[in-house]
Parts: sequence; C-alpha cells; structure tokens
Amino acid sequence: MDEILSATVDSRNGIVLDPRTKLFMLITITTLMFSTSNDGIMNIVKPILSLIPFALILSEHKFKTAGKYAVLYAVCFVLERLALNVWSGMISFLILAATSIMTRFAPGIMTGAYLISSTSVSEFISAMERMHVTEKIIIPLSVIFRFFPTIKEEYQAIRDAMKMRNIRFGGKNPFLMIEYRLIPLMVSVIKIGDELSAAALTRGLGAPVRRTNVCEIGFHVQDFSAIVVCFACFILFFLHQYIVF
Amino acid sequence: MNNKLQAKDLINLGLFTVLYFVLGCCVAIPIGFVPIFLPILGALWTLITGIPFMLFLTRVKKFGMVTLMAILSGLLMGLTGMGYWGVPLGLIFGLLGDLILKFGNYKSAKRSLIGYAVFSLWMVGTYIPMYFMVEDSRASFAASFGKEYADKVMAVMPMWSIVLVIAGIFICAIIGGMIGKALLKKHFVKAGIV
Repeated sequence: MDEILSATVDSRNGIVLDPRTKLFMLITITTLMFSTSNDGIMNIVKPILSLIPFALILSEHKFKTAGKYAVLYAVCFVLERLALNVWSGMISFLILAATSIMTRFAPGIMTGAYLISSTSVSEFISAMERMHVTEKIIIPLSVIFRFFPTIKEEYQAIRDAMKMRNIRFGGKNPFLMIEYRLIPLMVSVIKIGDELSAAALTRGLGAPVRRTNVCEIGFHVQDFSAIVVCFACFILFFLHQYIVF
Repeated sequence: MNNKLQAKDLINLGLFTVLYFVLGCCVAIPIGFVPIFLPILGALWTLITGIPFMLFLTRVKKFGMVTLMAILSGLLMGLTGMGYWGVPLGLIFGLLGDLILKFGNYKSAKRSLIGYAVFSLWMVGTYIPMYFMVEDSRASFAASFGKEYADKVMAVMPMWSIVLVIAGIFICAIIGGMIGKALLKKHFVKAGIV
C-alpha cells in the first residue's frame, strides 16, 4: 500500500512525460489498435504505435518486461500475418483469433501499465485539475487507476489461501467456487475503502478549500513530440483509405 | 443529512467500479474469443456483476453515485478499446437507474433489482458499432480476424437480435441482482458488515 499511494515518485528513471500526454497516448493506442483494419498504411502505423509502450518501458530500465513484450508482440504479429494471408482452414482461424486479440490488447495494456506505474496519484490529480475535470470524476478515476494492481494482489492472496484449503476450479460446484473467491475479495475491498477514505481525509481530500500540489507538471519537448506522433497516427488513420501503394 | 457527494463516497465509488469492471472482464475476455457467444456476453457480464453491485448499493445513499459508476465503466470500456459509446449510454441509463433507486430511497429491494437492470443497459453501448455500423465492422472484422470470423459474427447477429441482447441483459441483470442479494444476506448481513 505504501508504495502504491506514495505522493510522488522519486528518483525516477526514463522519460518524464506529463500525465495528460500519457493519457492521450493511451487513448490513441487503444482506439487505433481496435477500430482499424490491417490494410494499407495501417500496416505501418500499427507496429509504430506498438513500439511506443516498448520505448517507454525501456526508458524506465525495465528491460525484462520490455523484452517479454517485444518478443510476444513480434511472434503474435508474424503469426497473425501468416494466418491471415498464407494459411487457411480451422487451425489458422484459431491462431488468428488468439493472435489478433493479443496484438490488439498487448500495446494498450502495456501503455496502461506504464501510465499506472509511472504516474503518482498527486500528479494524476493535478493533471486532471488542469484539464478542469470535475472532482466527482477525478477522485473515483484516480482510485480506479491505483486500484487495479491492488485488486490483483488481494486476489492472489485469496487464491493462495483457497489453495491451502484445497478449494480449486474443477470442483463439484463451480458456483461455490466463485462464492469462495468473490466474497473475501469484496470484504477486503470494503476494508480498503474505509482505510483509503480515512487516509484521504487526513490529506485534505474533500475539504472545502482548493488543494495545493507540489507536483510540477507541464508540457516539455518530449511531450510535444509524443503528441505529434499520436496526431500523425490519427491523421494517417483517417486518410488511410486514400493512401494506396 | 448532507446530500452532496463526499470524498468518502467517491473513493468507494472508485473501488466498486474497479471490482465491477475486473469481475466483468474475467467473464468477458475468455468468452469474447468465441464469436457465437458475443451476443450473450453482455448478459453474462450483468449476471456475475450483480454480486458486487448489490453490495455497492448498500454503500450508496446519495443521488449520482450510480450515474457516475455507469459513466466511469463506459470510460474504462473506451480506454480498453471497446469504443466510447458506453459513456453517453452510461449517462442515460445510469441516470435512469439512479432515479429508480432514488424513488426506493436506495433501500427498496424490488427497486434495487429494477434499478440495477436499467443501469446495466449501458452495456448496450458496446454493441452499437456491431449493429448500427454493420458494414464498417464487418470490414474491420474481416480484415483483422479473417472473413470466416466476420461472417460468423455477423451471422449470429442480425438486426432484430439486438432486442434479444437488450432483453438478455435486462433479465440476467435481475437474476444476477437476486443472486447478489442472496449472497449479501448469507455473508454480509449475518456478519454485520452491511
């Protein structure tokens, strides 16, 4: 919890981007990865977009994660192309379904993970405040972004506990299975909620005054270049029907 | 009583939205691989998420929380790449659901089931591209998943079946809500948590 809720991320490696830039990149990647076809210029745009999270993770010095992602994406990309253009039949259809979901999801998930791991709550809040988003959206949204990793941790702990009691999938009653995992998770969510509210109140969240923030956010050269790349991808996407080669 | 949303409410809202969304995705992602199951995906989603939602309702005492949850869920759907139609629909159905719940003062059992069912209709937003931009999505499916997948998806989804999708979501939401209520009674009311 301590690390997750730290006010600022100190001694950070890599490119420092404004949270707004990261959000825009996330929107660009998820939108274009899903809504587009694989013909023409998009064949080039998509790999470029998928390189963005790779570069970002690499700049954080997380070489292992970056490597895994690159290998996974490259394998899926090649298999997808082969299944689409060369192979045919049922097996190619199965491969296609699996790999195209991977190539669509992986870049977005990695960018999302980067957004969460590289942005502190304070930075996120101050960025949203600069965008004049209402507090009613900011607070739940920042909780949501911080809470995805926590839910995973809690769930793993519950899974381990259930394993020790020999309650696993494939038992006689699958509904009971869901119950045994879901209820403890919900209990811990309620508890975390209470603790989090207490912590937030002591930090003055929800006080009737304007909160100040020590985080310095703002657009720099790297932000502008990232935004230009994203806009270029969008423009290519809108024009991709007219670009034939 | 102060009717404005406090920080505490908003934090709880965030937590339950994550729970709601993660649980839904756990069901939706493995099923999404199989094209034939796409129409019932929304129904299954609402069936399972009835459990956290009923618990969430015990924490809701103020107008606006259900609406915000629907909008945020739509936003998350958009950020994970399912299209942003969930946001406007979340606003509409979240608001309607919220109003129904408010008339029951957030306590009435019957109204909470109906309110949850109406709230769940925001899921229809994820189907809009498949139904109302048929040619677009057929082309995009065909280009990225192959023609076979596209034809399969489109074959199980003729225009009239959106009525079934909506009905499925609505009915499953009511069943899910009942399951949620039962579990709530079994585990939380007895333990004195709620």
